[in-house]
Amino acid sequence: MASAKETHDLVIVGAGPSALAAAVYTTREDLDTVLFEKGVIGGLAAITDWVDNYPGFIKGIGGLELAQQLQGQAERFGADIRLGEVSSITDEGPLKRLETTEGTLWAKAVLVATGSDYKKMGIPGEQELYGRGVHYCATCDGAFYRDKKLVVVGGGNSAVQEALFLLRFATHIDMLVRSEVKASEILQHELDKRVREGKITVHLGVTPNEIVGETNATGLKKVTKVLATKDGHTVAYPTDGVFVFIGLLPNTGFLKTSAITLDEFGFVLTDKNLQTNMPGVFCSGDVRSGATMQIASAVGEGATAALKIREFLEMQERNHITPVSELV
Amino acid sequence: MTKTITIYTTTTCAYCEMVKRWLSSKGLSYKVVNMDEEPPEVRQRVIEMSGAMTVPVTIVEEVTEDGTEPTYRDITVGWNPAKLGAAIHDMVAV
Repeated sequence: MASAKETHDLVIVGAGPSALAAAVYTTREDLDTVLFEKGVIGGLAAITDWVDNYPGFIKGIGGLELAQQLQGQAERFGADIRLGEVSSITDEGPLKRLETTEGTLWAKAVLVATGSDYKKMGIPGEQELYGRGVHYCATCDGAFYRDKKLVVVGGGNSAVQEALFLLRFATHIDMLVRSEVKASEILQHELDKRVREGKITVHLGVTPNEIVGETNATGLKKVTKVLATKDGHTVAYPTDGVFVFIGLLPNTGFLKTSAITLDEFGFVLTDKNLQTNMPGVFCSGDVRSGATMQIASAVGEGATAALKIREFLEMQERNHITPVSELV
Repeated sequence: MTKTITIYTTTTCAYCEMVKRWLSSKGLSYKVVNMDEEPPEVRQRVIEMSGAMTVPVTIVEEVTEDGTEPTYRDITVGWNPAKLGAAIHDMVAV
């Protein structure tokens, strides 16, 4: 447990690519850096099958491997990654107070790099059948669908990429797309190829309304079909499982009661130095308002934030902060 | 009798890595069963035990002297440190 006097140069909330990139920079400059991760180290990158557009890898790199490389690099320089959650950040002048699952601690600067998470559809059956036929992580759960038929909901880059990954296991995939497919050209090309092979069928203008399950002979309730609206009519898509990739939501729930300003969609607003309206609290990566939702951008922002934090701390140092340990 | 921990994983499961890291941070050892390297029957057995088609599945159990009948079994589906913590609370050195 954290002591009441525990103080660090920098606490980073999150341990995705942006957070880890920032930690590489700050730890190399001997800034005492602690990261808190409540989900997966590496963030969404870690649960992505393959990353083809991160510079430096001729053939691309597995998402989990990229995450592990970033983590290993940050830890090599001394980053302290803790599996826990930050529930609030409060401005106490030169120090920020953070409430965490390890207790209260203080930081001279904070970087919010909590990224984003896949949206849920919010339709009947989705929550009830989660893990029993409804999934949000193809790399985790795809292997359960060897020689099965699947539905993928969504038409963006993630949906297309994960559908292509799921074809390693599934015999056929129905893609349910609300409007149109909006994937990068290379993914679209690969999707078209799979459509021609009869492995994937893309259904445009489809809005899922309900996921239906039945209890089988062994007593397990499993997904059997998705009911959706197409052209004003209800259509049933029989399936063994549903994978949902319909966009991203910022992980800023813990900031809703803080003094940090969010935009209308819940993303964190920053100035050109990636600093929020709370002095000493910075933000980078997918959770920042205006983010491009690319791993390379998140890593670049993490490095930028680290440099701006160093400048901020140097300025604070010149102003002679009294450590909280001397105040308590 | 002592408790044992088995984590059922797949090769690309990032949440499984979190469970491994968390258990290691508590000083606990565990057995890993990668279902990508096992016959389909193993996957089916895990589905029946956990009631779920997802990984990680972490099983903490205590068996009788002859190693057959479980006298205690706790199954955690997914990366859920609160539930795992309750399952291993008496295994962690103070």
